[in-house]
Amino acid sequence: MTDEKGTLDGKVAIITGGGTGLGKSMALLLAAEGADIVVAARRVPPLEEVVAEVRKLGRRALAIPTDCTDPAQVNQMVDRTLTEMGKIDVLINNAGLVRGARAKPMWEISDAEWREGIDVNLSSAFYCTRAVSKYFVERKSGKVINVSSGEGFRGVRDNYMYCCAKGGVVQLTRTLAVSWSPFNIQVNCIVPGFVDTFDYQPPEYQKVLEQYRMSRSTRLFLPVGHTGKPDDIGFIALFLCSDAADYITGGFFAADGGGLAGGFATTGYAPSNTLKEALA
Amino acid sequence: MTAKAFLLKDKVAIIAGDSKFWAKPIAAALAAAGADVAILAKQSPKLTQAVEAVRKTGRKAIAIPTDVTSPAQVQKSVSQVIGEYGRIDILVNAADIQFFSPFLEIKDTDWQKAMDYNLNSVVNFCRAAGRQMLVQKKGRIINLVSALSERGIVNGTAYCVAAGGVAQLTRALALEWALNGITVNAIGTGWFAEVGKPTDELITKYIPAKRYGKPEEVGSLVVYLAADATEFTTGQLMYADGGLMSHA
Repeated sequence: MTDEKGTLDGKVAIITGGGTGLGKSMALLLAAEGADIVVAARRVPPLEEVVAEVRKLGRRALAIPTDCTDPAQVNQMVDRTLTEMGKIDVLINNAGLVRGARAKPMWEISDAEWREGIDVNLSSAFYCTRAVSKYFVERKSGKVINVSSGEGFRGVRDNYMYCCAKGGVVQLTRTLAVSWSPFNIQVNCIVPGFVDTFDYQPPEYQKVLEQYRMSRSTRLFLPVGHTGKPDDIGFIALFLCSDAADYITGGFFAADGGGLAGGFATTGYAPSNTLKEALA
Repeated sequence: MTAKAFLLKDKVAIIAGDSKFWAKPIAAALAAAGADVAILAKQSPKLTQAVEAVRKTGRKAIAIPTDVTSPAQVQKSVSQVIGEYGRIDILVNAADIQFFSPFLEIKDTDWQKAMDYNLNSVVNFCRAAGRQMLVQKKGRIINLVSALSERGIVNGTAYCVAAGGVAQLTRALALEWALNGITVNAIGTGWFAEVGKPTDELITKYIPAKRYGKPEEVGSLVVYLAADATEFTTGQLMYADGGLMSHA
């Protein structure tokens, strides 16, 4: 440990889905800048690992097992954070299921699957934000960081729940930004492209990811030619929850290897002709 | 204060095109993060002030008076920066002349001038600095544009077209150089005013944050995009606008 002050000294951040992947990266990067960390997710062992690593950095940390699709559990999580950490400065709505079940034709999607997909990727962010809403508005300060996806802006074949939910997160961000600007609350959204969280995934999902890694569409969505790392996303969270971003709200911060800048042609497609040819 | 992950220690940055409004706060932000800077813009007392402010922080700073609309002059000045510092890590294009007029009253020469300053100057600098960045296989290009790159405004045809051009230059060039270690991103600015300068009351009410931005609030975003930590972000337009772009 150094005596150097961090940009987030004394701040308390809740990170949902904070045990693995992007959430873990956020937790460690924020802690390295001085924040105390609360991680909330369903699976407990990864949460405990993150808590141990945060404490090694000299910060307070708390793991709260939470199913973010259950409003009662979410409210309890926020209450417990306030009791044990004393305050909340930052909420990062990172919980979500990247793909979950394999994409399938619309007629095969059950009501339960639709609800689960929307719950886990959209309603969870609503429930968590609602749980801190009155607190943030009354204290007139706070930062909310949502996590959408490139697929929140573009369609993906047969991927209804994920695309719709993540598109919903985009609009949740805009609505919150407009509603809460008068209360000095900034609401922004991180937009990850294909970030490889392979190492954090359970074995059965690693098989799905392996196929996905090989697939043509993945390569075609990555102009930089490689996938992202969790820290590519963690650093965005670090920036957005610091006071360096105090005039930034309703913003979308993508780390997607250039994917969203394209979309008119396949990656690497490079037409070339001279003006002479064009006028001929 | 800059988070450690975004520090720019000993990096070389060019701030191009604007000596009036953006050069000083951006130079100050980059220098505070540890970078040496060169400001290439029209001669102005503010240019000298910006350089002096940076030198006080202990970082190196030079100003090279440049006609940013002249490709030859831009190339010459950029070469001078390479001669002085040995490399270019960061290019911030900040050219901004605010030209607003009813469409039918815009003279051809005025239209051309708006394009030359707000769009073609960016092209000139991307070419000159990009050549060096391609050799280095690394670089950060940050184009400062208005949120009017994505929104229209009455009397703003020339301004909006040029800003939109920069936004599209950002996306297309990002893809073209994506495999060369160079990221190209843009910052869309909302309403900004120097502290103490007059602001419009109606506009203030319209901005979700209910205030104009302070110039240094763009500086922090420039530093973030210039950092090594943002290597996976390219072709993006992000806003420092107090929520303006979420407005219906």
